[in-house]
Amino acid sequence: MVAQPRANLTVVQPVNVQPVTAAPLIVFDRVVLDFGPLRIINELSFTMKRGEFVCVIGPSGCGKTTLLRLLTGLVKPTGGEVRHNGSPVNGPAHDVAIVFQDYAKALLPWRTVAGNVSLALEAAKVPKAERADRIHALLAKVGLAAHAHKYPGQLSGGMQQRLQIARCLAQEPAVLLMDEPFGALDAMTRQTLQDEMLQLVAGSGTTVLFITHDLEEAIYLGDTVLALRAGPGERSSLAQRFDVHLPRPRDQLSTREEPEFLHLRRLAFEHVKDTR
Amino acid sequence: MSTAAHRRFDLRGLVLPLVLLALAEAAMRISHTESDTLARPSDVARALWEALRDGTVLVASAQTLGAALGGLALGGGLGLLAGLWFGLSTRAERWSLLSVELLRPVPSVALIPIAMLVYGFGFRMEIAVVAFTCFWPMMLLTQAALRQVEPRLFEVARVLGLGITERVSKIVLPAAAPRVFVAFRLGVGIALVVAVTVEIAANPQGLGFGLMSAQQNLRPDLMFALLLWVGALGWALSAGLLLIERHLFRHTRAQGGNP
Repeated sequence: MVAQPRANLTVVQPVNVQPVTAAPLIVFDRVVLDFGPLRIINELSFTMKRGEFVCVIGPSGCGKTTLLRLLTGLVKPTGGEVRHNGSPVNGPAHDVAIVFQDYAKALLPWRTVAGNVSLALEAAKVPKAERADRIHALLAKVGLAAHAHKYPGQLSGGMQQRLQIARCLAQEPAVLLMDEPFGALDAMTRQTLQDEMLQLVAGSGTTVLFITHDLEEAIYLGDTVLALRAGPGERSSLAQRFDVHLPRPRDQLSTREEPEFLHLRRLAFEHVKDTR
Repeated sequence: MSTAAHRRFDLRGLVLPLVLLALAEAAMRISHTESDTLARPSDVARALWEALRDGTVLVASAQTLGAALGGLALGGGLGLLAGLWFGLSTRAERWSLLSVELLRPVPSVALIPIAMLVYGFGFRMEIAVVAFTCFWPMMLLTQAALRQVEPRLFEVARVLGLGITERVSKIVLPAAAPRVFVAFRLGVGIALVVAVTVEIAANPQGLGFGLMSAQQNLRPDLMFALLLWVGALGWALSAGLLLIERHLFRHTRAQGGNP
C-alpha cells in the first residue's frame, strides 16, 4: 500500500542543523477523538522524525485541523496519547508554533508588522533590548523588513501570511504546525510562499506538520504524506501513507515533472477517488 | 458605511434649511406676526448673538457640559469597569444578570425626585442622574465588546503562551477598544440629553433651565436661540468624537474590511 521508491532516484535529505535522528520527535499512539457521539479520529498512529516534513491530506471533516489542535494541546484526545519529545502533550508548548489559515484574524490589527512579531518575543520573555534586532532579522527572513512600520491591514494577503510565519519563527519552534496556510492565496503567491517556507524550515531543521487539501502541494512539500479518512468508524483514521522520495531543494517546474511526482500524484488522486 | 460622505461636508445639505428659514422670515415679515410662541429667524439670530456676547449662554453651556461630562465620567467609568468584569468572568455575569435586568429599565428621569431629595439642587444631583443613565449602556456595550473579540486571537495567545494578565492587556483590551470607544461616544450624546432634561425638569442651572426661563419670560427668540445652540453643541461634540475615533482606530478599521 505504500508507494515504493524508484531505485534510480537518490534520496536527498534536507540540509538540517540537527541531524535526523532515529528517535521520533512526535508520536501519535492509537489516538482516538470523539466530539460528543461522533468519532472524528480513530486509532491514529504515526511518528515524525526530527526535521521531517509531514503533510496531511483528506476530505473535509476528517479531522485534519483537529490533528493540529491535538499537538498544541488545545484539544485532548479521548483515547491514546500524543507524545512530544517522549512526554505526553498537556498544553501549549513554547517550541510548538501554529500558522493559521485565516491570517487576517490571527494578526493583531492594532499592532504594526514589527509589533506583531514582538508579541511572540514578549510572550517568550525576551528582554526589550534584544527585541528590535531579532524582529528585524525575522522580518528580513520573510522579506518584510521594508514594511516593519505598516499595519496588517495595509498588507496583501501573501504578506500577512508571511508576517504570521515570521511571528511563529520568533518562537524558535522545534515543531511548526501549518493549517492550510496558503489555501486562501492566489496560485502565484502560493508557489512563492511554498518555496520560501521550504527554505526557511530546511535552514532551521524545523519539523513540520502541514495540513492541506491540495494533493500536489502535499507531494511537492512533504517527505511523507498521510491521507486521512472521514467518518473512520471501526477503521483507523490513517487511510494511506505515501513516502515522497523527491530530491531537495525542490523546484516548482522540474520537481513537478519528475516521474516520481507524477506517480505519487496519480496514487494520491486515485486514493481520493476511491474513498469518496 | 459611506465614509466619504461623512468626511466631506456636503454644502448642498444647507440649501433646504436656508430656503426654509428665508421663507419663514419672509412670511412672518409679510404677515406682521407678533407671537409669544414663534420668532423671526433674524430675531433668533440676534438673541443668540446677544446671549453669546453677554456670556450667559457660555456660562450655561459650561454648567450643562460640566454636569454631563462629570456624570459620564462617573457612570461611564463605573460601567466600563463593571462591563470588563462581567465580560471577563462568566461567573460574575451570571450573578449580576438579574440585578442588571431589574435596575436597567428604570427611567433615569424617574430618579430626579430621589436625587433632589438626597443632593438638593446643583451639580451633584444632576451628575448623579446622568451617571445612573450612562452606567448601563457603557456596561452592556463593554461586555458585548469583550464577547466580540476574535476567538482566533485567544488561540494565538494560548499557543504563544501568554499569561492571563498579558492576555487581557495585550489582546482583549486593545481588541475591544474600538467598540468601547463607540460606547463612550454614544454615552456623550446620552449624557447631554439627560443633563438638559434634568435642568428643564428640576435643576435651576445650565442650558435646560435657560430654555425654561426663556419660555416663561415669553422670549421665543431666546428660546429658539438656545435650542439652536444645544443642537450645535451636540453636533460638534459627536463630530469631534467621530474624528478622534477615526484617527485612533484607523488601522483596526482597515483590517475589518478584509475577508
